[in-house]
Amino acid sequence: MKKKARRPAEGGGLNITSMMDMMTIILVFLLKSYSTTDVSVTPSKDLQVPVSTARKPPKMAVNVVVSQKEIVVDGKSILELGSYSDPETGAPTVAVPAEKKRGQSIPELYEVLFDKAESQKQINARLGEEFKGQILLQCDKRLPFEVIREVMYTAGQAQFSEFRFVVIKSGD
Amino acid sequence: MASKRGAAAEELNLVPIMNLVTILIPFLLMAAEFVSVAVIDSTLPAIGAPSTAEEKPEEEKKPLNLSVIITGSGYTVGGSAAVLQNREGDGPTIPCKDVGCPKVDSYDVAELQRLLGEIKDEYADEQNVILVPGSRIAYEVIVVTMDATREDPSKPVDGRPRDLFPYVVIAGGAQ
Repeated sequence: MKKKARRPAEGGGLNITSMMDMMTIILVFLLKSYSTTDVSVTPSKDLQVPVSTARKPPKMAVNVVVSQKEIVVDGKSILELGSYSDPETGAPTVAVPAEKKRGQSIPELYEVLFDKAESQKQINARLGEEFKGQILLQCDKRLPFEVIREVMYTAGQAQFSEFRFVVIKSGD
Repeated sequence: MASKRGAAAEELNLVPIMNLVTILIPFLLMAAEFVSVAVIDSTLPAIGAPSTAEEKPEEEKKPLNLSVIITGSGYTVGGSAAVLQNREGDGPTIPCKDVGCPKVDSYDVAELQRLLGEIKDEYADEQNVILVPGSRIAYEVIVVTMDATREDPSKPVDGRPRDLFPYVVIAGGAQ
């Protein structure tokens, strides 16, 4: 009798109802915060996106992430940034290595973006839309403008002229 | 008797529910958005001279070409010659609260918004602003400045913050 009563589906008498409660609450919470926007910002030590009062929702476009360590386009790492000392202030700073630049442009990044632009144009042509050249830019907030300017210049050369800077919505 | 009374408590088969939970929770955890994201548009090419899209040939109202230069010592607000009331002389129009602008908060955003509000009062139709950050300026400062030039929450109009200059172009130039 005792043995029969103490043989639930788990075996061993483990009372899991409390764990089920917890799991159910977590499940409800996650269901509620499930979102289908495909721009995912993954904050990490190297990528802290600035907070802003902007409210416009993001739309899908080519995703360029410039963190403190590297430049990533649509998930694929393109090049790594180097850390240097600022010649003026001596403070540690991040920059594109000089051998990877050509003036204001970054050739490796340009090639990747150019290919993306071409494939995007083909998609747009097939759908009968015009190519808008939108690009999403997620940059770490500590980056000097020089790096961002070079990325924007390179993107502009690859015919991406609509920049959408991804920011985190501030509290209100 | 015991089995009838305790049927619900003792023989509840939790395996299917556990299946559901075990599959759904990791999936939703990966898809969950813990930060909500917005975008700031800057539509025009970033490098080079200020955009020519707003220049209309030979109109009475000259384009304002409002520009905000961000340097390591503060903001310099400028525009087409002889239309702006900024203080001439050395140093920025709106110097930082702390010398050398070490932090984002050092930039006097409130004063910038006040000045832009005055300019907006005079040029209510103007919507463009050109941002010229120095090479060493942190991206965060640029975003904060773009927030300041877009709207002014301290002077709400119809319950919304007052629109200042929502169309921003980032120019490549200053040192």
